[in-house]
Amino acid sequence: MGWAAIIPCLRPPPGRHLYGSTTLGHNGRGMEDRIAAFLKSRLAAGEVSVSNVYRIPGGASRETWAFDAQWREDGKEIRQGFILRRDPDASVLETDRDLEFRVMDAVQAHGIPVPRMFWLEQDTSWLDRPFFVMERVDGCETSPSKVLMDPRFYVVRDRIGERFVDILAAIHRLEWRALGLDFLGPPANEDSCGMMEIEKWEAIVDREALEPQPVLRAACRWLRRRLPPPAQRIVLVHADYRTGNFLCDPQGQIVGVLDWEMAHLGDPMEDIAWACLRPWRWMGDEQVGGLLRREEFYEKYSAASGLRVDEEAVRFWEVLGNVKLAAIFLTGGRSFCEGRTRAPMMALLGRNVGRLELEVMDLMGV
Amino acid sequence: MRPTGGESLRGVQTALAEVILPELQSMFAQDAVQVMSMMMESLAGEWDTAAQDLDCDNRALGELLSQAGSAISSLPQSNDSRAALVNEIESVLAEAPADSLALSVLGARHSRLKAVMERVLVELEEAVGQPGMEALDAVRQAVYRHLRRVALRGWSFWDVASFRERMVRARAEAIT
Repeated sequence: MGWAAIIPCLRPPPGRHLYGSTTLGHNGRGMEDRIAAFLKSRLAAGEVSVSNVYRIPGGASRETWAFDAQWREDGKEIRQGFILRRDPDASVLETDRDLEFRVMDAVQAHGIPVPRMFWLEQDTSWLDRPFFVMERVDGCETSPSKVLMDPRFYVVRDRIGERFVDILAAIHRLEWRALGLDFLGPPANEDSCGMMEIEKWEAIVDREALEPQPVLRAACRWLRRRLPPPAQRIVLVHADYRTGNFLCDPQGQIVGVLDWEMAHLGDPMEDIAWACLRPWRWMGDEQVGGLLRREEFYEKYSAASGLRVDEEAVRFWEVLGNVKLAAIFLTGGRSFCEGRTRAPMMALLGRNVGRLELEVMDLMGV
Repeated sequence: MRPTGGESLRGVQTALAEVILPELQSMFAQDAVQVMSMMMESLAGEWDTAAQDLDCDNRALGELLSQAGSAISSLPQSNDSRAALVNEIESVLAEAPADSLALSVLGARHSRLKAVMERVLVELEEAVGQPGMEALDAVRQAVYRHLRRVALRGWSFWDVASFRERMVRARAEAIT
């Protein structure tokens, strides 16, 4: 997950961009030759040169690297920017890299803007850990502080908001069976979406919490007694759809939806609620993701998707969304305490569960 | 001893921001240092009152568990699970409080009390709205009041951004 995008303090310094930066960090040393060897095997090119390798901040669940590659194909010189997502030593989420790759690959061909996916590599001899490689989209921003406050993007914020809603509706309209996404495991029926997600995230709290979690446990019990109405339709749920997880250009176009690692099949209201969570309300309480008012979000989504937004269901999914985020933070905290990661961000996340508990209690009305 | 722990943490934080950060070239390293600086902020904020907060929490949890035990015992219908919970409450409250203000000792006691509170709160949540369980409502509310106070404590990277308005409300509530 793009934690640099979640936390405004982590925004890149002026002149730097999360995507398309030309900064060469020392941490990219030694990677060039190994990436070049991999590309050579995949491109069937004589020589491949790799340069400008640098690690992109954030990516708490998977390391994200950018690089440029150059090779000849049919006598033509080709130069392209890539993003490489490599499994970390430890993560905030133990997610399946195949899942993210396959989902992005599948939806890309059906009108959902995502970077083009190139290769998924499980063989650890190339870069020590599994990884996948995708297209780098230059000249865009993901950082909420840029997208919401930079004058270039501020003037097109309404357009970004409209695209934000339209794309979510388009994701929910996808015929996931036809796209071969059955492998995600559909819920047994429309009634079971809520319970399936409660069980998933409660199990993560069980597994990852290093100390008792009365609020999260009570919230799970509260949720079990207030299951939402059956999903109007079982859809592909992005499950991390929010400002900070899309690439946006200065014309207000969303050119890439990112971070599909939690995607699954379920209730569309889950995505609606997640987009509305307080942690993503950088521009004040009234604005969903800093982009548009909640009522406007609901109306536009209903018009574009043909689905009704049920406010009680959204409240259920908001409580669960905060529990889920807390579970993710607990996972990061545990990785840090057990020495499986040296990333200080993991420790910081683990220490920030309190505000999510507060939000959970507010939403529960206790 | 000077500098104190708090002063030292603030000093390291300043050094990270003013000395180390400008020297760093890679975006990744710059961000890592900014995160460390936030960590220092979080630690420095709780340094002075860490023992006091834990001690107060332990006392508050003890009182709440005592109230919960009495309320559960007074219920007209009992069952094995509730009886076991009351035993757990009595057992943890019977432990003699350690004669130490070491954070590790206070923290261990806190974990034991909180573990029982976790089970109590789930039981209270289960009982909400059920006939004959009204005696538990007041305890449930008191437990949540305590948990809210704890959840509001300390520094969070969200306080100046997405939780800004919520924190303003929380401060106003605390004043009134």
